[in-house]
Amino acid sequence: MIFEVSASLEAPVEIIGAKARGLVEMTRLGLPVPSAFVIPASACRSFLRDGSMPDGLDDAVARIAGAGTLVSVRSGAAVSMPGMMNTILNVSRARVREAVPAVFSSWNTPRAVTYRELHSIPHDLGTAVIVQAMVFGDRDQHSGTGVAFSRDPATGERALYGEVLFGRQGDAVVAGESETQPLHDLAVREPGMWEELGSALAALERHYRDACHVEFTFEAGRLWFLQVRPGGLVGRAAVRVAVDLVDEGLIDRRTAVARVSSRDLRLARALYISTTADLDVLARGIGASPGVAAGRIALTADHAVQMARSGPVVLVRPHTSPVDMHGLALAAGVVTSRGGPTSHAAVVARSMAKPAVVAATTLTVDPTSACVFAGSRVVPEGTPITIDGASGLIVLGSPAISEGAGDPHLARLKGWAASRSL
Amino acid sequence: MNTVLHSLRCMGYAELTRIADVTGSTPSEVESDLIDLAVDGFVVRTPPPFPTWGLTEAGKAEDARQVLDEVSKAGVRDDVLSAYKKFLILNPELLDLCSAALDEDLETARVLARFEDLDKRAEPICSSLAAALPRFGAYSVRLGAALDRARSGEREYLASATDSYHGVWFQLHEDLLATLGIPR
Repeated sequence: MIFEVSASLEAPVEIIGAKARGLVEMTRLGLPVPSAFVIPASACRSFLRDGSMPDGLDDAVARIAGAGTLVSVRSGAAVSMPGMMNTILNVSRARVREAVPAVFSSWNTPRAVTYRELHSIPHDLGTAVIVQAMVFGDRDQHSGTGVAFSRDPATGERALYGEVLFGRQGDAVVAGESETQPLHDLAVREPGMWEELGSALAALERHYRDACHVEFTFEAGRLWFLQVRPGGLVGRAAVRVAVDLVDEGLIDRRTAVARVSSRDLRLARALYISTTADLDVLARGIGASPGVAAGRIALTADHAVQMARSGPVVLVRPHTSPVDMHGLALAAGVVTSRGGPTSHAAVVARSMAKPAVVAATTLTVDPTSACVFAGSRVVPEGTPITIDGASGLIVLGSPAISEGAGDPHLARLKGWAASRSL
Repeated sequence: MNTVLHSLRCMGYAELTRIADVTGSTPSEVESDLIDLAVDGFVVRTPPPFPTWGLTEAGKAEDARQVLDEVSKAGVRDDVLSAYKKFLILNPELLDLCSAALDEDLETARVLARFEDLDKRAEPICSSLAAALPRFGAYSVRLGAALDRARSGEREYLASATDSYHGVWFQLHEDLLATLGIPR
């Protein structure tokens, strides 16, 4: 059994997977989704058992609409296993019969098995597979690809936020290997598309009653949606979204309280640099792990270890790698001039619950002269700085710090949680 | 090939004692080598009070030249390249495991079991590398030592200590890239 992705498809996530279910919901909302069909997870289980291929595959391929002859073949399990299984782009229709088994088989790569072992996901579920008409973000100057959030994932503030790559194909943003531009650049270069993206995310929020983010591609000035995920914000952002959604009438207080985890509450209590006073801002990067860290600048991991013996340090590096782990472990926080929210420094800092600012691109780190350059300023190693891993601010000296615990959204949510009359 | 220069190439900036640990020499021997290398302009020492050593661009070029010479004399480039391709298959899984090792919500025994499973699959790669160039033999010893310490209860030897499984793995990755002359 193969299902066409259409507004009338009722099959649940357990059968067609979360990604296909999202495509169906977007189709129902009238959003442009490239023509697609989904092979259910049961077909993957059959294939992995005895090598049998789903019936009707060739017919389904023939029914794919669109001017092009190329399709993407993507995995899409019921349980999120991000990046664990194969996606094959630019498959000619004659080759779909080879690509589908390759994606089925990727359910059992050692890496995917390890992921399931670690996260207690059963090994016998299998993955659904989505076959979809390709759209090309590298077509012309009115083409590109990106990720858009309905609310700022750092603060929860209601504003379109994300990244865009002009003239590039869909996997480039997620792969994280290219320098993306802020999503707002779209408002300048493609104002119509910016509007359309905004109203689509508003519609998705009303539908899911939650903050959402989408992966999109635009080809020759035409916007297409490739994936939607509701939720996924953490910490102060999760608290703010839950409270704002109550005010917007999308959820009730009980739902808001239930949506915010104890981990979110812990993170939401993190400190932040108060922006009410004048700050001596050295640079601004991307906040990658919330909280405030103050300490002296250390320019190598080994320096951080040594300097940490006599007080807190902030490790400042072009980027970090596993050989810097001992420095990361002892630093109060970390700054990198390159990398993004999914870089090594960001991932490690979040896992250690340490503040991190990444992509502070105006900084040049030079261990040989023991200095950091920021434009015309030269700051020697050992200089005290303070960083805010939510806003991305890097400030010289010791600015005023605010307590997340005093955040009005957090206070309201806690009030609702304490009240019996939700 | 200059062992100190090449080890430092794979380690990034490092203190004297760490370089000595990795090369299996005494700190004073290593320091003597480093001073010679510094005179040639291949390494620099960061200013006190906490000196660490790192390669200059000239040092990277010199190491690349020496490694190319070593590999072509031994005629093992294809063997190393074949091992590197197998290494690349395991690498994303190792990075997942390192994230898991840092996630305090996951129990140590479960994470350690997956490291041990991966290590079994990495062993043939390390063996074929050691057969091609004996200096690669040190990596399986160091990886094994990291696992032993993790087994004895020091979880940080999976992904966060200096000579953790991840730290050694990363240096092996750097070494493969340097040996094959592939930019990162």
